Amino acid sequence: MAELHLIVIDPAGLHARPAAKVVKVASRFDSRIILRSGDRTVDVKSLIAVLGLTIRPMSEITLTADGPDADEALAALVDELGAAVSPSSDGPAVALATDGAAVQP
Amino acid sequence: MGLVLVSHSEQLVAGLGAIVAQFGGSEVPVALAGGTEDGRIGTTAPRIESAIRSVLADGAEGAVVLLDFGSALLSLEVALEMLEPEDRARVRVSDAPLVEGAFLAGVQASTGASLDDVAEAARGWQSLPKVPEA
Repeated sequence: MAELHLIVIDPAGLHARPAAKVVKVASRFDSRIILRSGDRTVDVKSLIAVLGLTIRPMSEITLTADGPDADEALAALVDELGAAVSPSSDGPAVALATDGAAVQP
Repeated sequence: MGLVLVSHSEQLVAGLGAIVAQFGGSEVPVALAGGTEDGRIGTTAPRIESAIRSVLADGAEGAVVLLDFGSALLSLEVALEMLEPEDRARVRVSDAPLVEGAFLAGVQASTGASLDDVAEAARGWQSLPKVPEA
């Protein structure tokens, strides 16, 4: 299990273009990947579910991956989101993987 | 997995095809059936039939058809009648709104999802309000 806390800094929030990218990247991995925003959680592999969150700018989101390629999945997602997100000050800037190794954001 | 976009307007599906290519990626086969053969606003069965055939011939598992309103459905029904049963079985007609459904289906198709999963993804928009605060 790997977890990552991020703040969406894109002035448009997590709108259609980054949401589509996130879904495409997430779908390449076997791990189950959950996006939490406020008290709602969705499967990141479903575009309609991600769009349904209507994530606004400066929202804090949490990505959690569970599976054989959890660390790689989160690293790829952060890489794809690029400048749209920054590490959250409320959570660890980088997540700790199950083996204690830091996930490179 | 490919998409067939059906509209009364050739320009409308051309623009929508560009949106799908950008969000879903150019690897998703998209065929357009907009307007009539002589460039008027409308839909015709042969244009839709040929668009469906081009996606199926592209080696796609199947085709999800998204359409606008009114006679588009009638033309589509005639087009489906012209297909062989085994081809028709590889077509899903989506009840989703054309623009939003094409966007969702295009992204889903680009992940390598199955025909039914792509059709299901397009339908998802019906549960998503455009203005959540309203």
